[in-house]
Amino acid sequence: MQNEGIIELKGLTKRFGEIVVLNDISLTFEKGKTTVIIGPSGCGKTVLIKHIIVLLRPSGGEVYFHNQRIDNLDEKELGKVRTQMGFLFQSGALFDSMTVLENVAFPVRQHTQIKDPDKIDELVKMKLTLVGMDGFQNYYPARLSGGQRKRVALARAIALNPEVILYDEPTTGLDPIRADIINELILKTQKALGITSIVVTHDMGSACKIGDRIIMLHNGKVLVDGNADTIKNSTLPEVQRFIKGEVSEKDLEGLQVSFEDIKIDDKK
Amino acid sequence: MDRELMAQTKNHNHGNTIVQDLGAATVKTIGNCGRFSRFQADSLVASVAACLRPETYPLIWNQMLAIGVKSVPVVMITGAFVGMVLAIEAFGQLSGLGFEEHLGVLINLSVVKELGPVLAAIMLAGRVGGALTAELGTMNVTEQILAVRSMGTDPIRYLVAPRLLACLLLTPILIVYADFLGVIGGYLISVPYLGINGRAYWALSASGVELWDITAGIAKGFFFGAAIAGVSCYKGFHCKEGAQGVGEACTEGFVGSFILILAIDFFLIVILKAIYESIWPIKLLL
Repeated sequence: MQNEGIIELKGLTKRFGEIVVLNDISLTFEKGKTTVIIGPSGCGKTVLIKHIIVLLRPSGGEVYFHNQRIDNLDEKELGKVRTQMGFLFQSGALFDSMTVLENVAFPVRQHTQIKDPDKIDELVKMKLTLVGMDGFQNYYPARLSGGQRKRVALARAIALNPEVILYDEPTTGLDPIRADIINELILKTQKALGITSIVVTHDMGSACKIGDRIIMLHNGKVLVDGNADTIKNSTLPEVQRFIKGEVSEKDLEGLQVSFEDIKIDDKK
Repeated sequence: MDRELMAQTKNHNHGNTIVQDLGAATVKTIGNCGRFSRFQADSLVASVAACLRPETYPLIWNQMLAIGVKSVPVVMITGAFVGMVLAIEAFGQLSGLGFEEHLGVLINLSVVKELGPVLAAIMLAGRVGGALTAELGTMNVTEQILAVRSMGTDPIRYLVAPRLLACLLLTPILIVYADFLGVIGGYLISVPYLGINGRAYWALSASGVELWDITAGIAKGFFFGAAIAGVSCYKGFHCKEGAQGVGEACTEGFVGSFILILAIDFFLIVILKAIYESIWPIKLLL
């Protein structure tokens, strides 16, 4: 039996001026699964997940959450929908004027009736323990490393026990060990809390490790949709180049022309 | 990354004709005016709502400390120098005419009605407005404002309303400080330094400066405060990426606030003068 779809995109299109970034994308994200969206930089991965939480409005098409259309809601109505989703930004986007405790407590203070500081401290401690950051409550984000910031940001994203977490390039900028810690945390969060995860990345190792389903975007369209094996066995040259990290002949030619031009200019 | 895509979009617009450029600039200006008006309307609604929500009060107190309390010294220094400079400048002219004892009226009227409020507001546009734009601009480029939205909180309610209310409520109070130091500064130069008769100085000042003048000067503070917070927060929320974007937003925020303060001052003078003249006959009857 097919799993229930929690988020659905129907004919999603996004244009910035004349550039079409997302072109008629239709996807359904299954509940409790981890879906990874891969693709080269600038292919519209981040734009796609920002549409899922309606931080960007589509130029065309529709976004559904629990079969309710959400892309046409006003900001106040969207506020309630967004509390059911967590968003982990690429940079973490922690509030730098607040401590780790205040950052994680922010959504709790904003959207729950919990006002007792002891209870908030306890809840924050629980979330920080989940991401291995208990004890850092009084640190400011500036004192944390990149990996630690992402872990605190994850603790903040799960503070309200959301149904869905959206990860925007969670392992970018981290060394392989720190990146693997984040991968493990994504797996742990999904297994322990049964959360639906949608991860945007260009890290193939990470995608294969955490993804139940992998979708590759290219030129604003879905190029491949399947699991890790589907991607690995794909015969499409764009997919193979992405997996192997190889530059295309066309790009290579462009680079060589540029160098030759420079050499000719130097001789002149 | 959508920023890369934005850059591509910009590069796509080369080779336009002058008419196309002019049209694009007009559309952009109208769009900016619309965005600015909508931002101010949303901020106003959010500020009224914030007044009715006690849980917002701690945020307002924090902003009052940063915006108001910490601005007291610079505003007092501004006021003091305004009074002292006026005394030095005006003394030369009035003493030539034999009216040096009227120096108090000239200084105190200028300070409480015009120079105190306007210069204090300009000082606040630099100190407070610059800080607001830089803070919110940095939050914008580091996606912190987007993070507030992603957590289901309205960033205008959470970030703008407390700042707007703090500016609105404290600018008039800061103007009182500027006025007070302006009066003191003017006195210290006029009486102990220039040797004008103290009793005549105060007596003529008291007869020349009315409660209306002081009230009008302070009342301007509400409008100046709203202008500073409104422009600075808008610029912070809509700044371009990077350090250069934040820097440009701070400059534009200060220039915008400065011009708006002067424009508001002009229109308020006209309106307040009309009000004063309409109630003047009643005052004479009383």
